[in-house]
Formats: sequence, C-alpha cells, structure tokens
Amino acid sequence: MKNNNQILISSSTKNLHIVRDFIEQKAKEINLESKIVNQIIVSVDEACTNIIKHTYKYDESNTIEVEYKSDIEKFIVIIRYKGKSFDPSKKHNPNMKQYFAKYKVGGLGIPLIKKSMDKIEYSHIKPDLNALTLIKVI
Amino acid sequence: MEEFVINEKLIKNATILYLNGFLDAHTSNILEKKFEDLLAEKKHRIVVNFARLSYISSAGLGVFMAYIENMRNNEGDIKLTNMSEKIFNIFDMLGFPILFEIYKEETEAVDKFN
Repeated sequence: MKNNNQILISSSTKNLHIVRDFIEQKAKEINLESKIVNQIIVSVDEACTNIIKHTYKYDESNTIEVEYKSDIEKFIVIIRYKGKSFDPSKKHNPNMKQYFAKYKVGGLGIPLIKKSMDKIEYSHIKPDLNALTLIKVI
Repeated sequence: MEEFVINEKLIKNATILYLNGFLDAHTSNILEKKFEDLLAEKKHRIVVNFARLSYISSAGLGVFMAYIENMRNNEGDIKLTNMSEKIFNIFDMLGFPILFEIYKEETEAVDKFN
C-alpha cells in the first residue's frame, strides 16, 4: 500500500473482496448513502474482474492498482493495469430483451458499470499501462 | 472463512437453495457446481432464497442465466425469493425481472410449483 487512498492487489479473483472492502471504507468515510456505495462497489469489482479474466487471463503474477481520489462533487476511482488496451466505454450495451430471449450468458459487467456510474474514462498512459477511471457524482 | 455457502432443502416438490455470503467471480463456480449437481439429480424445480446473500456481481447473475433454459425445458424453473433491496437492485438494473420470477417470500415461489 502506497498510501491510504491506494491499494495494490495481485491479479486473482480471490482478492476482489479486498477491493470491495477498500471502496466501502472510503465511501463510508465521506458518509455516502448505501445505494450509491453499492453501485460504486459493484462497478469497481466488475472492472477488476474483467482485467483479471480478459487482460491478465488469471495470471496472478500481474497486479492491479486501485486508487480513490477525493473530490467534493465526485467519487473517483482509478484502476491501473498493464497489458493490452481495451476501452470499455466504447462497448455498446446489449439489448436486454434479445439477451434474455436468446438466454445469453456473460458480458454484463460493463453494462452494470455503465448503469451504476456517471462516467467511465479510459486512458492508455504508457505503451504498457492503462488507466480506467470510474466517476460517480455524489 | 467460507465466503460463499449454499444450503439445500426439499420443500414439497421444490428444491430450495439458501445462498449465504458473497457471490462474485471468485465464488460463482460453487453455485455453478450446485446447478450441475441438481441437473444430474434431475431436480429442475428450484427456488433460490437470497435472504442471507450479502453481495452479488454479474458473475452470479451469469450462473442463473446459464441454467434457467435447461430447468424450464425440463418442466422446471429457477424462481428467486427473499432478496434484500441491495441484491434486487443489481438484478433490476439489467432487467432480470423480465426473464425471472422474483417473489418476496419463499413460500410464494414454492406454491407456484404446486
């Protein structure tokens, strides 16, 4: 841990609860209402899950850094990870009526983030470093 | 410490699954295995009680999507009950009440099978 507003986890789904606990603690420090807290928690979980599964392909030697940035009007979470670039904000939400009619499975992480957060920003910082910023207006 | 545990009970002709703890990408395979077992045992009338579930992510939702068609094709169903507002919000946000029957009480879901 670099400071109180940042955690570093190895890329394993067994660490998702550490990320959720961290976000919950930060949200409670500023007394956010529970509905908003839950939306932020599930969004950060989904983002980290996607990175663990799709970017790192369950290779635990990789790491994910999660940083909370305080702001008067916004709850900001920055997730930094290495590997190939992928901008989830460009992915279109599925048509859920068709999704259910075809009994599809998977692909609901990003739609859940988009419905829960107010803004998603993706940036490719360095050739091998990505940052995903999730913003919730509070 | 167990993060996610399932207890099972047979009431009338329905199998009730009681979910406890946290259902995420790390624990969803436990629920998947349970549904595989239920299919092998030819148990297709399933009620899932969420009263003791503290958390669900899309990995958990995916398990229900993966098995509902199979259960319905075998004259069964997966009916969901006793959700806290927090859990229901996740299902609701993605429109799951379109496909799944969600009841307040377990008994209502069990009665629907009879």
